[in-house]
Amino acid sequence: MAAEATAAEAEILDELRRLRARVPQLTGALAAGVDGLVLAQDTPGVEAERVAALTATARGLALQLTDATGHGDFRELLVRGVYGCVATYAAGRYAVLTLLAQDRVNVGRLHLEGRRAGARIGQLVDAHAEAADRTPATSPAKSPKPAAKATRTPADAPATEAAAKPAAKTTTRTRTARAARGQTANARTTTES
Amino acid sequence: MANTETTLKEALASIEGATGVALVDYTSGMALGTMGGSKGFDLNVAAAGNTDVVRAKMRTMEHLGLKAQIEDILITLSDQYHLIRLISGRGGNGLFLYLVLDAKRANLAMARHQLKKIEEDLEV
Repeated sequence: MAAEATAAEAEILDELRRLRARVPQLTGALAAGVDGLVLAQDTPGVEAERVAALTATARGLALQLTDATGHGDFRELLVRGVYGCVATYAAGRYAVLTLLAQDRVNVGRLHLEGRRAGARIGQLVDAHAEAADRTPATSPAKSPKPAAKATRTPADAPATEAAAKPAAKTTTRTRTARAARGQTANARTTTES
Repeated sequence: MANTETTLKEALASIEGATGVALVDYTSGMALGTMGGSKGFDLNVAAAGNTDVVRAKMRTMEHLGLKAQIEDILITLSDQYHLIRLISGRGGNGLFLYLVLDAKRANLAMARHQLKKIEEDLEV
């Protein structure tokens, strides 16, 4: 499992690096689970864990917005600041791709490349999640649904954790139970190097 | 004066050999409107890619110290012409018209002339 997870992470990282080569104005790229944990990152000078957590929050809000307006599932999100922009693209069922770019970036190209890369990373993550899903066929915990994180409490966390682990992410980091999001954003630790 | 929709329609209908046209914002690389194209020819991809072309040319001219404005850019393929016409004036700054022509059917001189007229008429 560990080797498999590392392989997936390496593949995602490859994708992120390719993306940065294709769009020179990118200042960072990051794949995160919908639960806000980093899957792979290439974001020099930026705190990836924090961005991943914020991305998950923003995605959640965006999803509510598209839901409330009857526009279906989340696809992408673009935030422009004075000095640059942050774009988030859906990547399969369990992940999102977040790109950081300079203000002068060609947004049209950013969208094209971001959507493509998001789809590819989604395939990788989904394939691994499904493969992990099949192995423990009797496991009561199915794939890590986005909703699961909301209902998880510190008490049942260890049990859920153990069951969901193979299916969880493509990495083997340990997770801590989620408390209020704002406080954990910085404290969350990963085994990511 | 013509709006985006009318302009694109007119370009596609009146210019002989035109197979696709797009109005593109080169500050963002996104198309304000597209018409024509095909399954294998995505005008949004062309918009993003040709934004880089326009930006590169502008940067080069800046480095060369040229103060003149780009009127149009012609790209000749073996079977197509791609014509990029920058829009001047009336809030059209930062935009260009991108026209794809079938080389066998098109009259390049006529196409350039017509595109100029169409561009002058455009109000965004």
